[in-house]
Amino acid sequence: MIETLNHEESSPRVHGRLRLRFEARGNRNQTILAESEQQLPLRIVRGFQLNDGGSLVHLHNLSGGVLGGDKLDLTVEVGPCAVAQVTSTGATRVYRCRNQAEPAVQRSKISVEEDGLVEYLPDQLIPFAGSRYRQETQIELGANAGLFWWETVAPGRAAHNEMFTYDLLLLKTMINALGQPIAIEHMRIEPARRTIFSLARLGGYAYFSTFYICRVGVETSRWSELETVLGELAIHLSRPSITVWGVSRLRVHGVVVRALSVNGRELATHLVDFWRIAKLFLYDREAVVPRKVY
Amino acid sequence: MPLLRLLQLSDTALPIGVLNHSFGLESLVVEESLNTDGLEVFLREYLEEIGSFEFVFCGAAFRLGIESHDRLPIEQWLDLNKRFSAHKLARESRNASATLGRRFLRLVNGLAAAPILAAAIDAAQLTETEIHHCTAFGLAGAALGIEEESTLLAYGHQSLANLISSCQRLLPLGQTQATRTLWELKPLLAELVRRVQTNNFDLDQAACFAPLVEVASMRHPMLATRLFIS
Repeated sequence: MIETLNHEESSPRVHGRLRLRFEARGNRNQTILAESEQQLPLRIVRGFQLNDGGSLVHLHNLSGGVLGGDKLDLTVEVGPCAVAQVTSTGATRVYRCRNQAEPAVQRSKISVEEDGLVEYLPDQLIPFAGSRYRQETQIELGANAGLFWWETVAPGRAAHNEMFTYDLLLLKTMINALGQPIAIEHMRIEPARRTIFSLARLGGYAYFSTFYICRVGVETSRWSELETVLGELAIHLSRPSITVWGVSRLRVHGVVVRALSVNGRELATHLVDFWRIAKLFLYDREAVVPRKVY
Repeated sequence: MPLLRLLQLSDTALPIGVLNHSFGLESLVVEESLNTDGLEVFLREYLEEIGSFEFVFCGAAFRLGIESHDRLPIEQWLDLNKRFSAHKLARESRNASATLGRRFLRLVNGLAAAPILAAAIDAAQLTETEIHHCTAFGLAGAALGIEEESTLLAYGHQSLANLISSCQRLLPLGQTQATRTLWELKPLLAELVRRVQTNNFDLDQAACFAPLVEVASMRHPMLATRLFIS
């Protein structure tokens, strides 16, 4: 394992880097965290072995959150046949930006090689009042590679009655399979400039989640089947004006689950339900919830 | 002649099936209380997000057509459409857009055979790539010698007219109010077209935040009674 730590406490702008490489080793294809390069404030402690042969890593941000002007780069490489589970230790808090500060930037690059699987399951993103944040996520999937990735965005510090008082939230996502785009999102949210409460945007809901479930090479008919199965759960869980869930097949290689709610906790609980069903359907394996409180 | 052709191609009565689709509006009416009182405000925001996003792709396809000089760059054309498909997360809306795009392109090519339209159709068929309504409209505008701004405005106008027509079948929306709504939103259409032209149809800058419309489209297959295919 290579480890590089670089302390630059006096620097007004932080450039954190974290690169992780997971590889399958031995006859039983046990995944290990083969390499990690870390530059503060991003840190991990170690890779934990999972019973299903995977490796679990918790992402830490030692700053306690994302500060204005921060640049954070995360690279996750999952080698052939490796299984990696990546989660956070708590919500990602995006703090207020100083007036002239650049938006904080979080760039994530995730690559999953042949027969590999990544489960990237972070906690909520909470943009504080006055924050400006740009997130760019690029995911590359190889042959028979799999992905379970969810994301939930909160309206702000709801307990402080801070709802949609951030300045800018820019979320850019691209998922490619075998070099071709299968899902792209580019959201620009500026609550002060454009009302968030329009039915064209969030309506009366405050939280939104997106959950991508992909496995390259699975036939379209199987995805239709999974869309139907997850769609039934979506009907069961939805209560319009409180929480609504929708499920849709991607153009190829996956399905997406999207949900809106007035309540963030409900989303966190039920994303796991979708994950459990999809994991069994695609891998005939139980979903192992990361070791922390949900 | 270009104006007359444009008027015909942007008529919602064009036989490509545009009136069969609500693009999620039916679910918004059933589940989210979209009503006549809030319709114009809703459509404004819809155009700001989804409308202007489609204008970027329509304009990019138009410029591809103009710059191709009768030799369509096939890879770029297919990539543009694949990219749009990847952005359209809700299956029903994506399929609706692809169905309309395919029919539109075939219809126009049948009326005014143009090498780039034929090439666009052949390439899509050969590679089983979805062709979308906005990109097909942009490419057809270029092939028929219609001006860029007029092509985009016409695309936007027919999209908006179709949404309002859908609402007339879903809501107690009379002819007069429907006509007034379409009338009132024309300045916004023009403004949005100007904006995307200024940005040179930069696909990397094109953003859209319409999660409730997407979820509504995803939930549409689950409605007990449906007037529309999407």
